[in-house]
Amino acid sequence: MAVDTATAVAASAAPRTGGLRRFVGYRLLSGLGTLVFVLLFNFFLFRMLPGDPAARYRAVKNISAADLARIRAELNAPLLQQFWDYLRDPLALNGISAWKGQPVWDLVGGRAWPTVVLLGASTVVSVLIGVWVGIKAGWNRGSRFDKVSTGVTLLFYATPEFWLGLLLIMCLSSGIGPFPGIFPSGGVIDSGIEPLSVDGALSVAEHTVLPATALGAVYLAEYSLIMRASMVDELGQEYLTTARAKGLMDHAVRRRHAVPNASLPTITLIFLNIGFIIGGAITVETVFSYPGLGLLTFEAVSEQDFVLMQALFLVFTGSVIAFNIVADIIIAVLDPRIRT
Amino acid sequence: MGASLSGLGAGPVAAESASPDEELIFRVGVLQDVDNLNPFKGITAAAYETWALMYDSLTGYAAEDFSPVPRLAESWEQSDDGLTWTYTIRDDAVFHDGEPLTADDVAYTFNRVLDGKVEQTNYGSYVAQIESVEATDDTTVVMTLKKPTPIMERLAVPILPKHIWSKIDDDEVAEYTNEPDADPPGGIGSGPFVLEEAREGQFYRFSTNEDYWGEVPVIDGVEYRFYRSADAMVQALKNGEIDFADDIDAPLFDALEGEEDIEARDSVYYGWNYLTFNSGAALTDGTPIGTGHPSLKDPRVRLAIHHAVDKEVLVDRTLGGRGSPGTTIIPPLYPEHAEPADPVTYDPAEANRILDEAGYARGQDGIRTMPDGSNPLVYQMYSRQNSETSQSTIQFLQGWLEEIGIDSTAEVVSEGRLYEIAGEGTFDMYEWGWVSEPDPDYQLSTMTCRQFSYEVANGTVYAGLNDAFYCDQEYDRLYQQQATELDSERRTEIAQRMQLMLYDSNAYIVTEYYNYLQAYRTDRFTGFVPQPDPDGAILFQYGTYSYLNIEPVTEGAASSDDGPSPGLIVGGVAGAAVVAGLTLWLVGRSRRSPHADVE
Repeated sequence: MAVDTATAVAASAAPRTGGLRRFVGYRLLSGLGTLVFVLLFNFFLFRMLPGDPAARYRAVKNISAADLARIRAELNAPLLQQFWDYLRDPLALNGISAWKGQPVWDLVGGRAWPTVVLLGASTVVSVLIGVWVGIKAGWNRGSRFDKVSTGVTLLFYATPEFWLGLLLIMCLSSGIGPFPGIFPSGGVIDSGIEPLSVDGALSVAEHTVLPATALGAVYLAEYSLIMRASMVDELGQEYLTTARAKGLMDHAVRRRHAVPNASLPTITLIFLNIGFIIGGAITVETVFSYPGLGLLTFEAVSEQDFVLMQALFLVFTGSVIAFNIVADIIIAVLDPRIRT
Repeated sequence: MGASLSGLGAGPVAAESASPDEELIFRVGVLQDVDNLNPFKGITAAAYETWALMYDSLTGYAAEDFSPVPRLAESWEQSDDGLTWTYTIRDDAVFHDGEPLTADDVAYTFNRVLDGKVEQTNYGSYVAQIESVEATDDTTVVMTLKKPTPIMERLAVPILPKHIWSKIDDDEVAEYTNEPDADPPGGIGSGPFVLEEAREGQFYRFSTNEDYWGEVPVIDGVEYRFYRSADAMVQALKNGEIDFADDIDAPLFDALEGEEDIEARDSVYYGWNYLTFNSGAALTDGTPIGTGHPSLKDPRVRLAIHHAVDKEVLVDRTLGGRGSPGTTIIPPLYPEHAEPADPVTYDPAEANRILDEAGYARGQDGIRTMPDGSNPLVYQMYSRQNSETSQSTIQFLQGWLEEIGIDSTAEVVSEGRLYEIAGEGTFDMYEWGWVSEPDPDYQLSTMTCRQFSYEVANGTVYAGLNDAFYCDQEYDRLYQQQATELDSERRTEIAQRMQLMLYDSNAYIVTEYYNYLQAYRTDRFTGFVPQPDPDGAILFQYGTYSYLNIEPVTEGAASSDDGPSPGLIVGGVAGAAVVAGLTLWLVGRSRRSPHADVE
């Protein structure tokens, strides 16, 4: 580690590109394996859920006993037969949601873009601010900025998302005292507006501010704390002394030597988080009635809609695996040491 | 309200210029999603509400008392034997796409349900006694029955346009979304409102049908917005994003009372909760099933338990006083309700006396046993996971039963699981609820012998509707009698006798009739119509009375909540001030703390 890594990268990159290709190929293959395993696992997972999906029809006063028996018979088909049906369509391409009566991928598609918007907004904000705060706090460990920012970020980190969400609604949506509410309390767009227009974009932006803040605050805190810790780890390294000895200015040492080395854990974390947030914004989306994939998951589970759950879990596993691979590749490109 | 919410970018000028001719949309916040707009597929209350706006049915329910009133059928008459019903269809009804609605469309809709499979799910019971439906001319529909039935005056089947639905075959209907962008285009009915925009999981927007055959509504449209969190919905009502919030829970409702410009209204409702006993679980063929305690087959034990239940306390403590103590299984807002002359009162001493007299002596531990000394009275109880009322009711019950020498264990389960437990008869008591419709037939049918659990081929047992396992031949005979009685007074008499039979045998303990909690902004609309008059709910009724009758409070009242742009500035400044204050405070803290360490 006493070597200047920048030169190390430069020196080793050229002859090792074959290694990178092999690495990527290996990661893609193992990702595919994981996906297949999860597909098989999901089948049994859903069927272990307690409860009676047909019970929702109890509310339908006019359903005949014969119809109910027919619905039940489908649910009670022998496990092997269900498994066979599942294997014939593991991606649920022809799946119909029991709850909404629509093809599941239509439902998932309609709910995907709000989640992507929310995810994008919260990630950009939390990465930009979080990483900046982490770098500054770590570099000047013990400074007032460090103390304040660590205190604030710890507070955010410990705050439950739903609670922060409710607080935001109460303060910025309903308004407090003489201050009027300024942001809508739910939804993603107003009615009568085409989403792909200027008005539509503004409306979506307006609806996304609060949920993105609630979601972003937690991740911002996480990124800044991890970034700070990595910076602190680098502080005492001898290559920094070397860099200073070369006569580099303090900010140049930080930017060109310390930050690239310290950012690897944070980059990994960011990409892993992106994979998880796609399915993990359940609480925030529920609090803000934000019609994304997280809310859809909540609804699918409460309605015991197996096919919809199947499709959603597929999306989530796929996104986690995909972003894992992306993180691995990016790290491998940035840091040749791990290409093995 | 579309233009007013461009506050992030558009200047205040744009918002101002939009307000004079702004549309008067009635915005309703709901917690339950429309699961499907297709009237053959959806099952949630929200879905039924949207169909009520879009479609007409032959008959409706009066706002005052739920009695049958003409809608698309101007008038109807029955033959002397009650087997032939002739409906005269109004000639001025037009579908939203301009096609006239004729008797042919009515016959088509009913025949589709009669011949259908999917179509039977929601409307099967209306056509159960119908043999054939025929349009004899443009304004006359003749229905021939197998047996006379009073349901013929309450045909709440939405009448669909034949020219559209005939393009959707029996297989396609299961997946037809009935949304405007569906093929063929969906949502076409003859009702007072036209579906404009459907966004699954977000909102449904309707415009007023200017060609409606009845009086055209004053408002320009209706919009339902879905909230997955009740807190958020109530906040939206407070800040004027919505005009009406439906089905609020008691704590939030209490917090709304006294709020400026908001009327929180608790209405009598047709939902109620009950405690049921396993008084002999069995299959429809009489085979006993389950694990019910033998003591509960004894009506004296059930009566004693009824005496031990303090319903006033339940209403007060589990509903926050928003309801009334229950008696019979048809709620009091319906004319068919029967009130027992000599109701069972809360009287633990009397309960103990009854049990002592019946021979259920207390053992050394104070727990009673069967008269022969076996089987201590220890009951297995269940409450519903999704209902706090249910859980605290069971907790109260456990305490009360302890006082009369009955021990118990209780478990909280999901409704799906409870449904299985009910069917298998593996309970002694549990708490659940019903929501009764205006026609008493269905509610009364739940207590017939035919509604016991049933077994399917692979040995699995399913619940019928009768979760008390009450079976009385006389009750079943009366049920058949009321089902064919066309004279409404005589039918009411029979229905009341049946309710009192159930009450006297303590098949259920109806714990409470709960109220329905709604709230609306008083600065936006006025003229809501309750159903029934005067204490009933003002939206989510059997009908669309409030939508048809509400009016804006004053001219241009809508502009009052139209200023997000100045709000944005004020709010932004306030937000910045809060952040700055917090930072200063934290900086101050961190500056002080080192000194504190030194000292």
